[in-house]
Amino acid sequence: MGANPVVIIGALIYFAIMIAIGYFTRKAALNASDYYVAGRKVGSFINGAALASTYLSPASFLGLPAFIFLLGYPFWWALVGIIGGMPIATLLTAAPLRKYAPTSFTDYYADRYDTKWMRLIAGVPTIIAGFAYVTLSIVGTALFMLAILKLNYNISVVIGALVVFIYVFYGGMVATTWSAAFQGVTMAAAAVIGAIYTIAHFGGLNPMTDAILKVTPNFFNCPYVSEKPSSALMGMWTGIVGFYFTWHFGFAAMPYTVVRFFTAQDIKSARRSVFWAIFFGGSMYVGLIIIGSAARVLIETLHPYMSVEGVKDAMGVLKHMKGVYGVGGAAVTDYSMIAAMEGLKSPLLLAVICAGGLAIAMSTAAGWTMVLNVLLGRDLIGKVFGSKWPEEKPVQVTRVMTVIITIICTLVAFSPPALVLDISGAAFIVILCSVGPPLILGIWWDKANTTAAVINIVVMTVLSAYSWMYANAKLGSAHWFFLGQKGGLVTPHQFYWVFVGFVFFVLISLVTKPNRPEVIQKYSYNLRPEN
Amino acid sequence: MFKGMPKIFWIGMLLLYGYFFLFFILEITIPKFPLTKFLGVPACYVYNWLVGLWIINMIVAAIFYIAEEAREARLGQK
Repeated sequence: MGANPVVIIGALIYFAIMIAIGYFTRKAALNASDYYVAGRKVGSFINGAALASTYLSPASFLGLPAFIFLLGYPFWWALVGIIGGMPIATLLTAAPLRKYAPTSFTDYYADRYDTKWMRLIAGVPTIIAGFAYVTLSIVGTALFMLAILKLNYNISVVIGALVVFIYVFYGGMVATTWSAAFQGVTMAAAAVIGAIYTIAHFGGLNPMTDAILKVTPNFFNCPYVSEKPSSALMGMWTGIVGFYFTWHFGFAAMPYTVVRFFTAQDIKSARRSVFWAIFFGGSMYVGLIIIGSAARVLIETLHPYMSVEGVKDAMGVLKHMKGVYGVGGAAVTDYSMIAAMEGLKSPLLLAVICAGGLAIAMSTAAGWTMVLNVLLGRDLIGKVFGSKWPEEKPVQVTRVMTVIITIICTLVAFSPPALVLDISGAAFIVILCSVGPPLILGIWWDKANTTAAVINIVVMTVLSAYSWMYANAKLGSAHWFFLGQKGGLVTPHQFYWVFVGFVFFVLISLVTKPNRPEVIQKYSYNLRPEN
Repeated sequence: MFKGMPKIFWIGMLLLYGYFFLFFILEITIPKFPLTKFLGVPACYVYNWLVGLWIINMIVAAIFYIAEEAREARLGQK
């Protein structure tokens, strides 16, 4: 399989548009406010498209179809859970945080919990998750560069990292907001077009379902009512419910999404942005479900590598690709979605899919890089450690941070430690159980206090990260309960920590001293819709 | 806790979680429920793929912002 000129031209057109957006918006980033939060000038439609493309990442575009490919129909509910968390954010955090109008994710923690050190404490899990996300975005970009150019994976990683670096380096949040909006439209269109091609190939939903059942008879099996579940991880209710809730609250509390609420024009615009984010994100997921469900059939019946000696099934195709292109670590299964589209043998379709994939990977990398830039530069170096550098030269500081972040994440991306969706799940759980409760309950509960916030962030960061890594290393998957055994209790990504985190935070808050009344008034009561 | 949260939020939550758990329970109690034909296609394409994934979430998001804008307009008039 060689590079196809149509696919390369498609990618070049995409990059040309991205460069043009970066060029025409560069003059907008003249001061710190413009650079960090796009001058708060972004309307709901643009902000909604940008929200969707930033929030949804290669973990969605590559990872979700790969997990449907591996786990079968019950995993569809995970996608329902992700999109279902978006409307909840409208009133839970989007409107209150836009009313508060901070610059950085950690501003709220420092103000509500009345100490600058909260920037550092809340920054730790954010940095862990941020580096994980920039890494998986570079992995995603690299896999699409591989699909376009048919180059060695390591070379693709370097090219992908350079592409991400250049446009974050020159644009700040203004460039990433406008380019992310374009990317939101591109990724949604790509997934929907891929699904239409797939359904048309089979001649409708019914023939497609029959073809899936022929190759994978257990695909639609649900736990308790089938002799054999679609997958061992979907053999009990905790598997489905766990995957549903792993990413569910992310839209309300993940830093790279929350900062997009800050860029909205006003509260009204912030609320409407969520509607448009669901429109674009949901339409992309509608496409991804079809592609992921049909991936195994498409690969096994149509992919050129099925004719290679020794290759017998879809997993064989992916293993063969790992050898041919030197794909590092666990990343090759993430290629299943692209391999399925390659099977349809339409260069135009592959060009559209690659443009959509590059769009989603680059926008997420850019969104997270900006969060890390602001956190490391303005918040930690400037506000916590007292340096004047971020205040005097904000753009220079964030650009230096961009260089450091990109280099570190690129080095990890050469051999990713897990599938992109697994990296994403780990990042979500660490963030949601540690900094999630102090954020959400800080707005909605007057008793939420500094002691509880500090203890919760420290304890939950350690517990969630340790249990995830322990299960992944010792039990072979992060989805088995870390104190159990392989094949025992299914707890996807150790999702229970999210609920444990909220309960733990409430209990500590109840037995410790509340914050000053004026702080609670300003950063809790006054942010609520009815005040 | 959650004092001042508009009532419409809890209605939206009930709708979203009620919908998920209703169909999830049906799936784990009725054999081959996802493949039962509805509107000429396996039912899961209707209740999960289109409605659960996309349509119901857009409806709830729209209800949230419309209800809030109406409430703010009423407050403005007062």
